[in-house]
Amino acid sequence: MTMRNFLLTYLLAAAAFAQTENLGLFTNSGDVGNPARKGSTAFDAATGQYRITGSGANIWAKEDQFQYVWKEMSGNFIVTATLEFLGQGADHRKAGIMLRQSLDPDSAYGDIVIHGNGMPGIQWRSNRGEITNAFDLPFDGPGKYKLKLVRNGVGLSIALAKNGAPLKDAARTEVTLRNPILVGLVVCSHDGGASDTVVFSDVAVEALPAPAGKKQ
Amino acid sequence: MRLLLLLCLSLRVFAQTSSIGAFTSFTDVGDPPVKGSAEFDPATGQYRITGSGTDIWGKADQFRFVWREISGNFAVTATARFLTEGNDHRKAAIMLRQSTDTDSPYCDLVIHGNGMPGVQFRNNKGENTNTVDFPIEAPGAFKLKLVRQGATITVFAAKGDAPLRELGHTSFQSSGPLLVGLAVASHTQSASNTVLFSDVSIEQLAAPAAKKQ
Repeated sequence: MTMRNFLLTYLLAAAAFAQTENLGLFTNSGDVGNPARKGSTAFDAATGQYRITGSGANIWAKEDQFQYVWKEMSGNFIVTATLEFLGQGADHRKAGIMLRQSLDPDSAYGDIVIHGNGMPGIQWRSNRGEITNAFDLPFDGPGKYKLKLVRNGVGLSIALAKNGAPLKDAARTEVTLRNPILVGLVVCSHDGGASDTVVFSDVAVEALPAPAGKKQ
Repeated sequence: MRLLLLLCLSLRVFAQTSSIGAFTSFTDVGDPPVKGSAEFDPATGQYRITGSGTDIWGKADQFRFVWREISGNFAVTATARFLTEGNDHRKAAIMLRQSTDTDSPYCDLVIHGNGMPGVQFRNNKGENTNTVDFPIEAPGAFKLKLVRQGATITVFAAKGDAPLRELGHTSFQSSGPLLVGLAVASHTQSASNTVLFSDVSIEQLAAPAAKKQ
């Protein structure tokens, strides 16, 4: 390696590390699946808001492309966040809360997302490289959504509220993820040629003490 | 004499697989030790289905299945009421299934004994069951509706006399003709569970729908 290449490599590594400066509750941000258009994340310590811009074909099928802001966690916990899309985009652009086994594009994951058209959905890939499973919930148009995701063993429970209404339990599914896992916020434009920006506010991550019995 | 006995036995077997209301066949999937049964009352249009079996869950299922073959797009409705006490997670369902193999791909809309609606599916033979459960409404008679349009399965439920409410939709890929029918499982091998299905209808739908992404 020449001195110049060494220096370049060092600077690039330093730049990647610099991405992890102040991300509030989270420790890292980056693009999963190497989308052509790069994403970005800005945390405003004064308001506690995350402004996340993401591109990518989709979070779907056997591989994902999106911007991810995450931290590592183990055990049971609750994540809440309120999100709003800025600007227009694909009906199925996505923003939400994701639990993920790894940063691999075909990693196992479970998430709760709001689509650009307002449709809430639960998605999960049970094993690496498998097809995404999804269940979409009824909706009545776009808005500002509060999301709550509870991890309790293999159970993922979600609650939702639109435009300031009280949180309402929506559904529960099961995904087996091995501790530690990645927990964070996602934005995907559902279009490799576009980016979407989403503001997340009132974000909270609360660890829960007790493991629960297995659902049957 | 022996010939007559054989003839009678085969007639009896044939009778078991002859039509039962809107369906053509019934069987225990997964060979549960306690055998199930199914009766159709033409006067009321009601099906009284008794099923045992560990569960419809994991990688293999045990339950009573009353079914017919179907292709294309369609809507199935049925009102299910548990007639017996039992496990909280005993199940009554409208099920689409690739075959009567115990580990067959399937997709169903289920009501549990405790009043929890759920959608379950196994994408490929021998794989784990995927599940989505909805908030529990306490036990009662539940009207269930499952609509298949291409790979999209949309489900509706209502308790008592409430109007049908959409729960949402999922994707279920399948090939060729499917089995469609009613399923009952007791969630334990040592018990049976009887469910009364009424207002059962199967309506063939014309139009294919756009693929969900």
